[in-house]
Amino acid sequence: MSAGAEPLLQVEDLRVEFPTEDGVVHALDGVSYQVDRGATLGIVGESGSGKTVSSLTTMGLTRSQGARIGGRIMFEGRDLLTLSEQEMRAVRGNQIAMIFQDPLSSLHPLFKIGDQLAEAVLAHRKTPKAQARRRAVELLELVGIPEPQQRAQAYPHEFSGGMRQRAMIAMALANEPTLLIADEPTTALDVTVQAQILSLMARLQSELGMAVVIITHDLGVVAEMADDIAVMYAGRIVETASAKLVLSAPQHPYTWGLLSSMPSLEARRDRQLVPIPGAPPSLIHRPSGCHFHPRCPYAQPDHARIDPRLEDVPREPAHRVACLLPAEQRRGIWSQLKLGLAPTEANELAAAQHASATRQEAGE
Amino acid sequence: MSAMMRRTAPARRRGFALALALGLSACGSSGSSTSPSPSSESISASGIQTPATEALSGGRRGGTLTVLNHEDFEHLDPGEAYFSVDYEASYATQRPLFSYEPNSVTPIPDMASGPAVISSDGKTITVHIRHGVHFSPPVNREVTSADVAYAIERGANPNVANPYFEAYFTSLEGSAKARGGPFPGITTPDSDTIVFHLTKPNAQIVLDALALPLSAPVPEAFAKKYDAKSPTEYGNYLVATGPYMFKSNGEGKVLGIGYQPGKSATLVRNPNWRSSTDFRPAYLDEIDIKIGGDTNVIGRQVLEGSELVQNDAVAKSSVQLAYEHFRSQLQISPGAGDHYIAVNNKRGPFANVNVRKAFWAALDRVAMGKARGGSLVTDVMTHFLFPEIPGFEAAGGLAGPKVDYDEHPEGDPAIAEKYMRMAGYPSGKYTGAQTLEVVGSTGDPSSEVAEIANNTLHSLGFKTKLSLVDTSVMYSKYCGVPAEQIDVCPNVGWGADFADGQAVLDPAFNGRNILPTGNNNWGQVDDPTINAAMDKAELIIGTQARANAWAAIDRELVADAAAIPSDWDKEAAIESKDVAGVGDLWNTGTWDYSFSSLK
Amino acid sequence: MTSYIVRRLLWGVVLLVLVSALTFLLFRVLPTGEPARLRAGRFASPKVIAEIRNDLGLNKPLIVQFWLYMKGIFLHLNLGYSYYSSASVRSLIADRLPATLSLTIGAAVIWLGAGITVGVISAVRRRSKLDRASMGWALALISAPEYWLGLIVLYLFAADIGKLKVFPGAGSYVGLTSDPWGWFTSLILPWLVLAATNAAIYARLIRGSMIEVMGEDYIRTARAKGLSERRVVLRHGLRSAINPVMTILGLDIGVLLGGAILVETVFDIPGIGRLNYDAITHSDFPIVQGTVLLAALFIIVANIVVDIAYAYLDPRVRFS
Repeated sequence: MSAGAEPLLQVEDLRVEFPTEDGVVHALDGVSYQVDRGATLGIVGESGSGKTVSSLTTMGLTRSQGARIGGRIMFEGRDLLTLSEQEMRAVRGNQIAMIFQDPLSSLHPLFKIGDQLAEAVLAHRKTPKAQARRRAVELLELVGIPEPQQRAQAYPHEFSGGMRQRAMIAMALANEPTLLIADEPTTALDVTVQAQILSLMARLQSELGMAVVIITHDLGVVAEMADDIAVMYAGRIVETASAKLVLSAPQHPYTWGLLSSMPSLEARRDRQLVPIPGAPPSLIHRPSGCHFHPRCPYAQPDHARIDPRLEDVPREPAHRVACLLPAEQRRGIWSQLKLGLAPTEANELAAAQHASATRQEAGE
Repeated sequence: MSAMMRRTAPARRRGFALALALGLSACGSSGSSTSPSPSSESISASGIQTPATEALSGGRRGGTLTVLNHEDFEHLDPGEAYFSVDYEASYATQRPLFSYEPNSVTPIPDMASGPAVISSDGKTITVHIRHGVHFSPPVNREVTSADVAYAIERGANPNVANPYFEAYFTSLEGSAKARGGPFPGITTPDSDTIVFHLTKPNAQIVLDALALPLSAPVPEAFAKKYDAKSPTEYGNYLVATGPYMFKSNGEGKVLGIGYQPGKSATLVRNPNWRSSTDFRPAYLDEIDIKIGGDTNVIGRQVLEGSELVQNDAVAKSSVQLAYEHFRSQLQISPGAGDHYIAVNNKRGPFANVNVRKAFWAALDRVAMGKARGGSLVTDVMTHFLFPEIPGFEAAGGLAGPKVDYDEHPEGDPAIAEKYMRMAGYPSGKYTGAQTLEVVGSTGDPSSEVAEIANNTLHSLGFKTKLSLVDTSVMYSKYCGVPAEQIDVCPNVGWGADFADGQAVLDPAFNGRNILPTGNNNWGQVDDPTINAAMDKAELIIGTQARANAWAAIDRELVADAAAIPSDWDKEAAIESKDVAGVGDLWNTGTWDYSFSSLK
Repeated sequence: MTSYIVRRLLWGVVLLVLVSALTFLLFRVLPTGEPARLRAGRFASPKVIAEIRNDLGLNKPLIVQFWLYMKGIFLHLNLGYSYYSSASVRSLIADRLPATLSLTIGAAVIWLGAGITVGVISAVRRRSKLDRASMGWALALISAPEYWLGLIVLYLFAADIGKLKVFPGAGSYVGLTSDPWGWFTSLILPWLVLAATNAAIYARLIRGSMIEVMGEDYIRTARAKGLSERRVVLRHGLRSAINPVMTILGLDIGVLLGGAILVETVFDIPGIGRLNYDAITHSDFPIVQGTVLLAALFIIVANIVVDIAYAYLDPRVRFS
């Protein structure tokens, strides 16, 4: 993480549980991360990893569901979790804004785009309606929508997917937030449009100096935009470091799995995509010990009993991982995986290397 | 909805007229034969008033009476009116040749200046018209015999289509060809005399019918243009001769002013009426009639309210409520009509007289009466003339003739069995193959009554096919059409146009009155001896003689078990505590607007 | 959009012609529908009936009768004359229409207001005691027979026969123009009875619709914008939830305008419903024909209005 000024958003040991008829859902289990001003954090994980819940909780949108929330969320010196609903409302859509995955269902179908944007402005500023509408048109222009004056009179279903997402972004920016949370902003869009949206977001970020949290399951998305990446699994952060580091030298088997299952233009054509076996765990009855162990190709028997903590990686500053495997072994496995070996082979090789290394240290 | 039933008491459609006193000059016997029948005596003993014994006066002059009627009028035109609700308005606004005091079934001269004179051969009736009676605005002039003649002549006009012209006036000469214009049967030698010329000597019946609204004068010059329309519009532009008139505008238009169909009607004083020419006191200044609503609600409103009456069929629950808590505001009037079961005398199992007697014996008449509201409003029927009809006592009175099949009103299975065996069914139950066609009417209490009858048939061993249809359909499509070969009609009944045995027995039991459609002899009763007796009795003049003749016919019909009796109806009427209501005995006890007053 | 409206109107006219044709057939062809005999009265002789048949033109060929009948209705708005009072059916209907309009519109306002309020509150406080209680009451009201409810209400609150003499009772209706205050107070009890069942139905409908809508993504967006919960529920939630209800409302009003027979009878209100019912019991067929056509007209118009309104309410529909 970049050092220096105090972070804009600091999530400390956030715990969120939802009581349901089937049992208690442990959505977040002690999650901590931070975002600096003007920086971009990418939160990566499968569905059910808790990545969306942390952002919704930051916005205070999980309160009404009977959730039990613990920990702190520090934003501009205040713990958001202690704010009243009224105080939170003053923050939402104002200093912190959020955009969502499906812009068609996320925009009200019965109101004009321009009116919805103006509403976002009027929610936080006492301006005359006409001025709010003008601002709405400005915002549409800002996000690159042609003929913004006419477009403001249109309804969401009259826009294409990409334009709708631009409009959502425009709506989020209405009050010049210092933090923008984007939850899967490109997942519902075509590949070509995805790139456009991402570059738009990057441009706006630099123009407006916003911090951005981008939540996605797609590492390719964060590769472009993020300064730092946090990988989440089963309600916890399992690895976090600068984007460069996570993408080039990841230390967690789950992250390896994510990278291996990504198609890449640079890899060999005949390299097999290796999906992570199994399915995401239930958040009600989580696996014992290391939550990832049932799906981990490198798991040892005692990993089912011991719960790993997020710890610094030796000799790599600002890189933390929650894994029970020794760091050297991990590095070894990764170097093999990078060459294209399958996990089993890589594991044997690495185990062998590790065994010889320990023998070296022990004996001779 | 029993008030809608055709020819049944609650419809309260007919007036009663004992015309006899008028024709007596020709024959010598005298005296009216009205006396309070035992039925009305027994009722008044329990503290309920009855028209025969009510005081004819009692309240103050003036004020407005509000009438809550559930039913609308059918016709305001006196030439078309044939419904007890219509009659109350007709007799308050129109003066037929003869009319009634409330507590009597003997008509007295109204438009006539004195009793009619019947010639010795019984074929000519002469009536003199009263002087000094004027039409209401806008006609205003004095009434003449020509107005009475026109009133009756228009009955034959298809645009008017008077319902009883065919029944009572066909013996007038030339009436068959009449279409609303003059015909030889009615002549007016001068402006205050009218003479009727008959082709056969049934003067009694014609005289009885002159107490019906048809003979109320109608000004030809004023009405002609309305009678030319099809149907006539005279009912919307009525002129009155009685103490009251429907509120109208300067041209005499009543529709929309004094009558809003389905909503309300207003009767106001007729400015041209002179009390010196009339036996009616006319205390009230105005009568407001409100139409519609729920009968249970109306009952409560009248009983708990002020200056209100109900003047059509009272809900059973309201009769009960009045009897229990407002007894002085309840009036029960006898002789409102009857209900019986018609069985097919011509074909099928009931063509056998013993089967008919068996059914009579088996039927629980008490249960049938209970379904209609119990002893407050019904009496067990034991023969065919009703209370108040001359000859009722001679035919057996309330108890009825002494025949074993009539002895047990709750039904006697043993006697029923006896007659079934006599009919040729040794087991005492029907063993034939035929399934009986039974057609009754829907609604309460008709359907319950039909069920009781149906079950009785089962107890006699019959298989039945019971259909319940709308009352008018029952009459017009099934029971009134001999060709349909219906075996049993359990929901028929009769009211009478006037208090004469002929009006009760002839249409229902004379074989020559069996018609292919619109038949009222529902049982197709056709006994040649009885037919001959009825034809002979028609021509008798003189109350006592007629009473005896028709009583004898009644006994014959009982001996023949021509139909199965059920109940004699009494009709209830209610008033608010501050109304001195006077009921019309001759019109099933409905409140008379010309005699009622406010206290 | 205009071509859509025009098409719907034309189709409506076609439907009206069809309904007229059907009623014509019913009253000429069915066995109990013998206009001449009914006009003549129950006791008329065959001679008189024959005369009347001639007068009514019933001896002409069926096609000619039909043509004259349709011409009469569509060109002259002539709906015939009552068999009894000889008043024109058109004038009778025009006379009764204001009462039915008053009854229907007033009740609609009440049931919509009550239904929306209860429905929204129940949806927002789902599974609370308030929700359960109001849905329980709703079920009771839906099950209560209207006529019985009317009688109960009268016996409790009518000024003349009630236990608590609060409102004017049956038969107190007066026209708006003759006595506005009397008109208003006389309609309070009938409005409540007529609205009761519908309010319950609409409350349940709106509750269900709201629950569905409040789970939509755009509600989450609205909250994320920092809008007050009230604005989210009413402006964003209710606005969407009300659409399906609006179409039902249009149809309900259309049907009721054909006459609310039960309420009109219990409270003795001279409306179209009672006119129709009285005519049926008297077999006064011209009136029945007129009211049937009127009811059909209202329902057809209601359908068209509802279709157009829906296009207006939901912009996504306009382009289909």
